[in-house]
Amino acid sequence: MIDIDEDNLKHGVLGLVIALVEVIRDALRIQAFKRMEGGSLKEDEVERLGEALMDLDMAIEQIKEEQGITQSVQSVRDGLDNIVDDVLDKMVNPERWREEVGDKQMERM
Amino acid sequence: MLDNNKPEVVVANEVKAESKGEGRYLYCVADNGERADLGKIGLDGKEVYTIPLADLCAVVHNCPSEPYKSEDQEVVKRWVMTHEKVVEIAGERFGTVLPLGFDTIIKGEEDISPEENIKNWLKQDYANLKEKMNKVRDKAEYGVQIFWDPKFITDEITKTSEEIKSLNQDIISKPKGMAYMLKPKLENLLKKEMEKKADLCSKDFYARIKKCVFEIRVEKTKKTDEKRQMLMNLSCLVGKEKSKELGEELQKISEQEGFFVRFTGPWPPYSFVAFG
Repeated sequence: MIDIDEDNLKHGVLGLVIALVEVIRDALRIQAFKRMEGGSLKEDEVERLGEALMDLDMAIEQIKEEQGITQSVQSVRDGLDNIVDDVLDKMVNPERWREEVGDKQMERM
Repeated sequence: MLDNNKPEVVVANEVKAESKGEGRYLYCVADNGERADLGKIGLDGKEVYTIPLADLCAVVHNCPSEPYKSEDQEVVKRWVMTHEKVVEIAGERFGTVLPLGFDTIIKGEEDISPEENIKNWLKQDYANLKEKMNKVRDKAEYGVQIFWDPKFITDEITKTSEEIKSLNQDIISKPKGMAYMLKPKLENLLKKEMEKKADLCSKDFYARIKKCVFEIRVEKTKKTDEKRQMLMNLSCLVGKEKSKELGEELQKISEQEGFFVRFTGPWPPYSFVAFG
């Protein structure tokens, strides 16, 4: 389960938001590298892309430090990783879905 | 609710329940047909003895049919060490043994006592067990783990790869945005080269070690710290005369710069007697 810091709701929401920003930033990184490797960018474009990503990294780190949410963000991301792993596990092994659905039906009875 | 009008049925049930609740903790199978007492050397000071069938016997102690469990790590450690000690003593007394893993317990069933269960198993699996005995006689198990220093190997690879050298140069010399974009490319390249080298080294070491042993098993590698990376984890079944040869080959491997070897044993052949 995602473990959000509930002592401070604002804190918790901010942690969630920054965690999602990091996920989007990672996706941006991957796309940028793909474009660079694909050869569709000129050298000055690569330079500008790199700088923009660097600035984004720094901004994210700064927000985390100032708001003291570095740990909070990490737990959200770890929680997300676990959820994704779990879903993939079930896709690879459909028996587990069936078992879970079966368990839930038993609980209701 | 007990039915007081039928005492005979109650007694019969109690007897059944008793033989259902008892088990035999199995340490190993030994190459000997004696009915023997080894003394109170078992887990929690239990009396260890043998259940023979033909020229084999099971080394056991009496226990409840529940597995040994404890939250306390020290208790579990002590149990495991006791288990290993009993297997060792049985090996010294009976010559060849097929060890079982910790916490193997044979239960009774409907109308079969655990003792009978064990005898049936020895009977049914007799040929297989004798074959295994012959395989491991006068041999011991050794553990071989080979590590390398990832930083040292990375430096070596960097020295010998033109592509990596030039990428490194670019990262130092080019403007920061470009450098940022090139870093993952460098990491990827290094990762690929490391994997290639790990593969080459592993294959070489495996071939050299295989020549010195009777049988070899590849085990999972484990994570250590960043200073050392485990390259291979092997269990080797080695004849007593050949263990020196293996030691010398491992010595040569450990002399290669950046490589380390961990050589453990001799153990009873736990990994080479797979019981179904």
